[in-house]
Amino acid sequence: MSRWQYFGKRLLLSVPVLVFGASITFLVIRAGPLDPVSAIIGPQGDPQAYNRIREQLGLNEPLWRQYIDYMVDLFTFQLGESWVVQPERDVYSLLASYAPRTIWLGFWSVLIAVFIGIPLGFYAGLNPNTFSDYLASFGGIVWRAMPNFWLAVILMSVLSQSQSLFGFSWQNWLYETNVTGPPPLPGDLVTLLTSPDHFFPALKKIAPAAIVLGSASMGNEMRIGRTAVLETVNSNFIETAKAKGVPPRSLVWKHIFRNALIPLVPIITGEAFLLIGGSVLVETVFNISGIGYLFFQGIQNGDMPLVGSLMFVFILLVVVINIVQDLLYTIIDPRVGYDGGA
Amino acid sequence: MSVTDDPEEATLLERIQDDPGPAMRWLAGALLLFALEAGAVVNFVTGLFGPGMELPTLLSRELIPNNGFQTPAGVWKETFLGLSPAVAWGIRVALVYVYAIVCTWWLWRGYLVFREHYRYADWTPRDDMIDRLRGHRWGQFGAVIVFAFVIMAMFAPALGPTTVERTIQDPYSYTVDYYDENGELANVTVGQANLGARSQGTPDQNVGVMQYDEYGRFHPFGTLPSGKDMFTFMAAGARVSLFIGLLSIGLSGFIAASFALLTAYYKGLVDLAVVITGDSIMSLPRLLFVMLLSVVLADTWIAGIYSGGLLLALIFAATGWPILWRAVRGPAFQIAEQEWIDAAKSFGQKPRITMQKHMAPYILGYLLVYSSMSLGGIIIGVAGLSFLGLGVSAPTPEWGRAIDIGQSYVTTTSWHISFIPGILIVLVVTAFNALGDGIRDAIDPQSEGGEGEGSEAVAAGGGGA
Repeated sequence: MSRWQYFGKRLLLSVPVLVFGASITFLVIRAGPLDPVSAIIGPQGDPQAYNRIREQLGLNEPLWRQYIDYMVDLFTFQLGESWVVQPERDVYSLLASYAPRTIWLGFWSVLIAVFIGIPLGFYAGLNPNTFSDYLASFGGIVWRAMPNFWLAVILMSVLSQSQSLFGFSWQNWLYETNVTGPPPLPGDLVTLLTSPDHFFPALKKIAPAAIVLGSASMGNEMRIGRTAVLETVNSNFIETAKAKGVPPRSLVWKHIFRNALIPLVPIITGEAFLLIGGSVLVETVFNISGIGYLFFQGIQNGDMPLVGSLMFVFILLVVVINIVQDLLYTIIDPRVGYDGGA
Repeated sequence: MSVTDDPEEATLLERIQDDPGPAMRWLAGALLLFALEAGAVVNFVTGLFGPGMELPTLLSRELIPNNGFQTPAGVWKETFLGLSPAVAWGIRVALVYVYAIVCTWWLWRGYLVFREHYRYADWTPRDDMIDRLRGHRWGQFGAVIVFAFVIMAMFAPALGPTTVERTIQDPYSYTVDYYDENGELANVTVGQANLGARSQGTPDQNVGVMQYDEYGRFHPFGTLPSGKDMFTFMAAGARVSLFIGLLSIGLSGFIAASFALLTAYYKGLVDLAVVITGDSIMSLPRLLFVMLLSVVLADTWIAGIYSGGLLLALIFAATGWPILWRAVRGPAFQIAEQEWIDAAKSFGQKPRITMQKHMAPYILGYLLVYSSMSLGGIIIGVAGLSFLGLGVSAPTPEWGRAIDIGQSYVTTTSWHISFIPGILIVLVVTAFNALGDGIRDAIDPQSEGGEGEGSEAVAAGGGGA
């Protein structure tokens, strides 16, 4: 099977996954006892208004009718309007105003985790069974087991009291920022990336939340990086390279490093799951009004279209990331079979 | 005097009848150990049908009471042997753990007795697994912490310095005695005493770790901002977490194993259907979907059982089985390729029997490994939900809620409220992961850092909570 056939098969398989995922979401929010109408008119609303709004929202239609409308809307990317959280506002415009903060947060949490976790893991793997290896491994294991929300609470409190605790003020360090609250993102990407006055405060603001959100993946990357390096170091081709007289520097960088990266690919892409899920808790603690926070608000207020559409976006994201991961895998490691598992 | 002629055919019962000595001796010890705690079991069972029957029990708070009051002369009254409440409580905790350790040791002895006297084979592969586990320090560390956690959950009512009912659910129906400033013996409701024992983050409004409040009550983990004893809260919370974790892992493990066996045996269309179903469920962000479900189903009758604990367990089971199934699918497919499966098929054995007898035992070990690792993730997930105010509803204690309650006191003198539950979660989750590592190395010494790492990482992460 060629790479493109494999790719086609992967795409084809993702269609039922999408349909099924969206259907499960529909089943939960529409067929369940969720009641957006009483959330809109409040507990004391009179029954007439209640019925009128129900009629307007199309909730009196038979369920199969609602299902078809819902699926057609989603798959033509008409994400609808919010009903309760921000009534009559387009989900797209909500996404446009909430998503950048979450993307900024996710971007840095992946980057920080990758740039701390992988080097530490590789270092531990290259110096196995030394004190620093044990320290790094143990740190990784504990770091991985830490609940994000707890770490967030502790970090937030310590940083906001850093003046009285350590005599060092995090808030006034370099740029003046609060510990909590959304990051100060300018309107367009170019300003953010080119002007240091915008870039650094936004980075400093998001850093604690990003470290927390990346913590679990960082521990994973470290552990798996370590075992991958250990496995590669002990493999035959390294022996051969050593016997051939390859200098140590090129041995580490060219032969060990590149091969040890392979098992890390699914971990890095798998972070997407953790980020989407963890964003709710971290955004709640740090008071960042991002997608996770929006989703949580939507659930609590019974905002059906908002929740359904956001869920669909998440599923789409996960499916796309999975396909990209499989493709990356086949490119990086040609030994991976195209017909191994669906 | 053997019942059947062929010793290989004799059942365990027949083998014991042949040589009853060691088994009887072991059974006598087990009965003795059980008799010490029989009262608790009777109380629990009768409690299901009405008010529980009270019988004297070794590890009860009635036998070793730690609630008393101090006379102005400094003498403790009503506590165990007139000791201070801290010491009395310490003795009770020590006794509970000694009892639990002795019980576990006795079970282990039972296995050894079976191995020595009643097992037909001199050696089985399982012996090697146990030997490998014996040399696995990291796995043993995990086992010890998991053991401590399970005992904490099982003996929660006896371990706490006071009961959930007295201090958390119904504090105004119980009273405590104490000597007031005038040296008079006074009586006050627990609710009122709690008001005086609050931990509010200031040095004069705080009852910290291992401190007494002004009513002579001892608080090993300090108090909550409402003045309720935190150790009692944590012990009861451990029970809820363990219940949800075990039930959901049990259910999802069962689903995962059944699907893995079915798909490995029949392959083809069955496999494709389960792959698509599993992938669809896995493509939903787990934590968010669990949140959605727990909000949507919050008003149904099932959410009323065990303060929503049962519902959460079911939700976690329904969303968690694909992860476990992914982990055992590979091994199940490998087994299905073996010759003995072919032989069983052509022999005309029923598919169900083949799966049960010849395939299931091989994937059980893997299932155990991944279950142990996902259990930590579920504990974190449940705590995360109650941190947000979802899931297990108040007043039933849950660790995540303690973290939420203590949020604003982290950098004050009342740091213990948020800090201790977090540390305990880290410990317990690390321990479950370590135990999983140990079991994996024991059943499959070659696997160290094998292909399963990816799904293992997902399983242990708790979906980002």
